[in-house]
Amino acid sequence: MNLNTLYNLRWTVLPPVVGVAITVMAGLALVSAPTEVVEGDVQRLLYVHLPSALASYLSFGITAVCSALFLITRDFKWDAGAQAAALVGLIFTALTLITGALWGRPIWGVYWQWDPRITTTLILFLIFAAYLVARKSSELDNERVARFCSVYAIIGFLDVPLIHMSVRWWRTLHPQPIVSRLDPALPTEMLLVTLFSVAAVLLVAVWFIVLGVETELLSQRLLKIKGRVR
Amino acid sequence: MDLAYQYSCLISLTVADLKLTWREKSAWLTTALFACAALLIYSFALDLASGVVVSLLPGVIWTVFLFAGIFSASQSFHADRENGVLDALRISPVHPTIVYLSKTISNFVQLAAIQIPVLLGATVLFNEDIFQINIIMIVLLGTLGYCSLTTLLSALSFGSKSTNLMLPVMALPLLVPLLIACVEATASALDETPDGAPWMMLLVLFAIWTTLISALMFPLAD
Repeated sequence: MNLNTLYNLRWTVLPPVVGVAITVMAGLALVSAPTEVVEGDVQRLLYVHLPSALASYLSFGITAVCSALFLITRDFKWDAGAQAAALVGLIFTALTLITGALWGRPIWGVYWQWDPRITTTLILFLIFAAYLVARKSSELDNERVARFCSVYAIIGFLDVPLIHMSVRWWRTLHPQPIVSRLDPALPTEMLLVTLFSVAAVLLVAVWFIVLGVETELLSQRLLKIKGRVR
Repeated sequence: MDLAYQYSCLISLTVADLKLTWREKSAWLTTALFACAALLIYSFALDLASGVVVSLLPGVIWTVFLFAGIFSASQSFHADRENGVLDALRISPVHPTIVYLSKTISNFVQLAAIQIPVLLGATVLFNEDIFQINIIMIVLLGTLGYCSLTTLLSALSFGSKSTNLMLPVMALPLLVPLLIACVEATASALDETPDGAPWMMLLVLFAIWTTLISALMFPLAD
């Protein structure tokens, strides 16, 4: 099976598979997974939080790779991929931050903690939000905007390790806040549900990216047709 | 690529840019005045006159530099774009990286010149010995890292109306490592504690990283 045949399955196979995976995931997370002894039902947020974080990192990674490929090839299909993945990444980052805050309030006693990973995720959100705002608010021609945004996406993605390192040092060298922090080992049942949730949410992310790419390619075609009519 | 020729172009472009900036005083004068006004506003807002300022001063100084620098950076390609200089340079044998480096050096000199009255003002207003050799080193390194990134971002023009608005939105999240490193290094220099070494290392790393990556990306962005 070559890549094109695989990509053509996006309309026939991907939607039902995503639908089934999410339904099963909801059942597993809400019903089958055992209730955590100390944290209670709020622990079930983990089944959305962790997969969302992974989906956002995957999406931003795809944005950076597609941006680099666009700069090399100047083929707009890569730009469409970068744009679609950035939007999906932003949605999942927001979901990660929201579920993290909802979990943090009863467990840590605060919605927000200046933990390096959380802070880096927030900065990542701001970088790619700026990327999308720049794209949408620009008055320049498509080629220049795509070029500029590709450069920004690559720099933004490459800056992440430095951001993480600086925030980690910043936290390490400062006194840690005193909060009730519980790190129970994950039992096998919970681990299996978590792994399934990761797979399901990554499938959703891939599906969203595919839909975003199709939408972007259609709008690019529409722009070309409008240009010809004028 | 003839290195000697490119080097002479780098010097010529930098000198020309600095001369142009000196003649059109409005841009750097506005930035310098903004920086001094912001310093004054911070001292009212945070009540820096009350005595204990050492813990707040590094943050105040660096946020003033960051915001003033955004003013300065947003202007860096404005005149060139309006007068068609960038188009002329594009068809000339000057390598785009040289154009980028000349702009970065020019922005660095401008911002460093603006930082002097701010540091002087802070020394007088808050009675702290800021003019130390290690703080000046931190300021120069931080300014280099800052200028190398914001010069590239200011080259990414997103259209006439939104350019000035977009630059801070795009630059500030990327500048978080620089801000943290500069504030912490300055704080340890003021406190005279030995905690500053890792922050200086991060500062050097950031300056090298941004200069290299921006020099590589500028030909693609231009």
